[in-house]
Amino acid sequence: MVVDGLVPVRVEKPSTAEEVAGLLRAAAEAGEAIVPVGGGRALGFGNPLERFDVALEMLGLNRVIEMSQGDMTVSVEAGVTVEELNAELAKVGQFVPIDPFNAPGHTVGGVLAAGLSGPLRMRYGSPREFVIGLRVALPDGRLASSGGRVVKNVSGYDLNKLHQGALGSMGVIVAASFKVFPRPLHEVTLEARTRDGWTEAARALELPMPPVALELTSDGRLLVRLAGTRDAVRRMARELGWPEAPDEVWSEHSRRGGRVWARVSVPPGKLREVVETFGERATWWASPGVGVAHWVGDIDAEGVQLARAAAERTGGTLVLIAASVDLKRQVGTWGSPPATLPWMLRLRDAFDPKRTLSPGRYLS
Amino acid sequence: MALPGSVIKQLARIVGDQHVVHSPNDLRIFERDGSITGAVPEAIVLPANRDEVVEVVKLAAKNRIPIVPRGAGTGLSGGAITVRGGIALQLTRMRRIVEIDPIARTATVEPGVVNADLQHAVGRQGLFYAPDPSSQKACTIGGNAAENSGGPHCLYYGVTTNHVIGLEVVFADGSVAWLGGDAPDRVGLDLLGVMVGSEGTLGTITRIKVKLLRLPEAVVTLMAAFPTVDTASHAVSDVIGHGIVPAALEMMDRVTIGAVEAHYRAGYPVDAGAVLLVEVDGLRESCNELAGAIERILHTNEATGLRIAADAEERELLWAGRKGAIGALGRIRPNYYLHDGVVPRTRLPDVLRRVTEIGDHYRLPVANVFHAGDGNLHPNILFDLRDDGVMDQVEKAGEEMLYAVVELGGTLSGEHGIGIEKNAFMPWIYGPDDLDAMLRVKQVFDPTGQLNPGKIFPDPDREPATLRARAGFCSEAQWW
Repeated sequence: MVVDGLVPVRVEKPSTAEEVAGLLRAAAEAGEAIVPVGGGRALGFGNPLERFDVALEMLGLNRVIEMSQGDMTVSVEAGVTVEELNAELAKVGQFVPIDPFNAPGHTVGGVLAAGLSGPLRMRYGSPREFVIGLRVALPDGRLASSGGRVVKNVSGYDLNKLHQGALGSMGVIVAASFKVFPRPLHEVTLEARTRDGWTEAARALELPMPPVALELTSDGRLLVRLAGTRDAVRRMARELGWPEAPDEVWSEHSRRGGRVWARVSVPPGKLREVVETFGERATWWASPGVGVAHWVGDIDAEGVQLARAAAERTGGTLVLIAASVDLKRQVGTWGSPPATLPWMLRLRDAFDPKRTLSPGRYLS
Repeated sequence: MALPGSVIKQLARIVGDQHVVHSPNDLRIFERDGSITGAVPEAIVLPANRDEVVEVVKLAAKNRIPIVPRGAGTGLSGGAITVRGGIALQLTRMRRIVEIDPIARTATVEPGVVNADLQHAVGRQGLFYAPDPSSQKACTIGGNAAENSGGPHCLYYGVTTNHVIGLEVVFADGSVAWLGGDAPDRVGLDLLGVMVGSEGTLGTITRIKVKLLRLPEAVVTLMAAFPTVDTASHAVSDVIGHGIVPAALEMMDRVTIGAVEAHYRAGYPVDAGAVLLVEVDGLRESCNELAGAIERILHTNEATGLRIAADAEERELLWAGRKGAIGALGRIRPNYYLHDGVVPRTRLPDVLRRVTEIGDHYRLPVANVFHAGDGNLHPNILFDLRDDGVMDQVEKAGEEMLYAVVELGGTLSGEHGIGIEKNAFMPWIYGPDDLDAMLRVKQVFDPTGQLNPGKIFPDPDREPATLRARAGFCSEAQWW
């Protein structure tokens, strides 16, 4: 296992939350750097690691802890993959709308820590909106839970939010609970090929019942997923007038990714102008309704800087989900630090004072 | 307790003489919020803008004076009560709707904007703001964000935290920052998500940016009567089990129905054991199909007297009864203690049975009116404060109900917050390590403990809760 050109001294394969906590504590006491690894689908995300002593392979935490069909909640260990989770839920007509790119194989813990989302964010929001509980192992060996297994909860601070997208810098997620959703009564996928994708996308977004997912690609494809009651879906499909496409287009779409991979997140109304800075021959796909675009392939430092400047001017960001160590060193993964960085660093120091967790990767 | 004259003078210099209240009689006006306890603040300060908030917070930091942000004072967990004295920072003069952007569908408001006022303003543009607490005619968006408030329509649309995209916050040291923003992903920790629902203990919110949604094309509201709360609860689970998540799914029990009908004449069936109010919205086609499906499901669950609101007026009336239910209960007893707990939805019949038993045991009438779809119950203990020793009984009954909620895998609060009402019970649902993680966050943002002190966390200085002996029963093993 190589991350950012570094090879760990050893690989640990815990199978319980307590083991994870114990390994973190041991690493902290020994002054070692420990890096959790889930499905390995986003290992290149983040600035180059400063040190790498222990790889913490999380796939052994693979239990579905509790699934309650009537309550529409599910709790799983972090090493369960998104596909395994949704296969379980499918048995009772439910699902969790987590659909990251570079699929399949993401673990639940990995996708939450990396803060990844996909096309369904259009309707359901990112996992932030439906994670109802987390259990996290901390470098001092404690296991801290936040939230619970109910769908509505304001008891104490919402630390579920603190760990999502923190790339493991505040602790290692060992289990998560979700509010789940019923499979839509009726669904249809439409696909259009058009020269003016942005205008067509805008039209789809203004439908009285907007699509649950809408994706535009650099080769002029528009994918739309409509969901709801049969008659409602039919009416929207008629209004759009695009031909139907097989459901498989979504699993194909979800396999997209790249060895060099940038993600732009901007206010939706600004997405087009930022994507245009990628250049005419760039390969990208975007969720115009959300304000996210993914750019892969032939990306150099100059290109990143140009697009990043455009994204940051809108109040948005460009981050490198994957890149060579060289490129990451040249332009950085994250771009300009937020004004609140001092607060974030103080929080990190309160949770990881010895810089045990993936040092260098996230906040600096 | 009183603040030194020099501090009062400096406060007056910041916000103006007429916006500092410090005479003992006037202070008493701010002794209470919507909860059952109170404490008199040492001063009430009404800043006009963010810069004045900053100056007040800096002055308080210098003099180690507690700061307790306050909106309309409708909170039910004592979040706005100055338990440790200090300054009640009343934010209701900051009530400008700064911007409504109909294209991006966002609104930026000051914290003192009343929820219903925002609804009206954005409604004119064909938009709505989803969180709709029953107190929305009075409660403020700032208070909603601080408490992470809910409301009937949160079943489908989500609670406040799902709709706030940005906050301007004045931290304990007087520094100011924007958290969040218009872009969907941020770089760095999700401080926005932590700040929402932190009950004024991590910072003072001075501006809020929220998402707006387009008003649906159609809305259908159904009301159905059931012989018992049990049958109504099963109907709730059955609707959702069919893959239908309505916009709202509310229940009222017999006690509530009687009071509401006497007051509102909304046509609620007074002989029913429970009433469900179900609302679906969306396209006309969806509404018709879903309403039809729901009707069939309710009928198979012993529903009688099913009624569909014929027009907007009838719908408003049905909702007026629901949202005004708490006030209407004054017909039964002059005082009420409104509790808030959440159980996994399928445990509703169990917990409601326990609630009834506990009410019977203490000979206190209990009225249930709540968000059934979310499993979010609101037992209302009704009493007359003039009865000797009744308060003690009321609190004991409430505590036992809450304990029953936790025993069934639930949580202490779904939308009212912890405040000083439930902080002693926090160890029922969180172990020492869980609370320690939360306290680390508190320590980072408020190292001197001046922001809304005495809230959320168990307070060693206060009398322990009666059931506290059982604390810690809910170890992580129970949760995981």
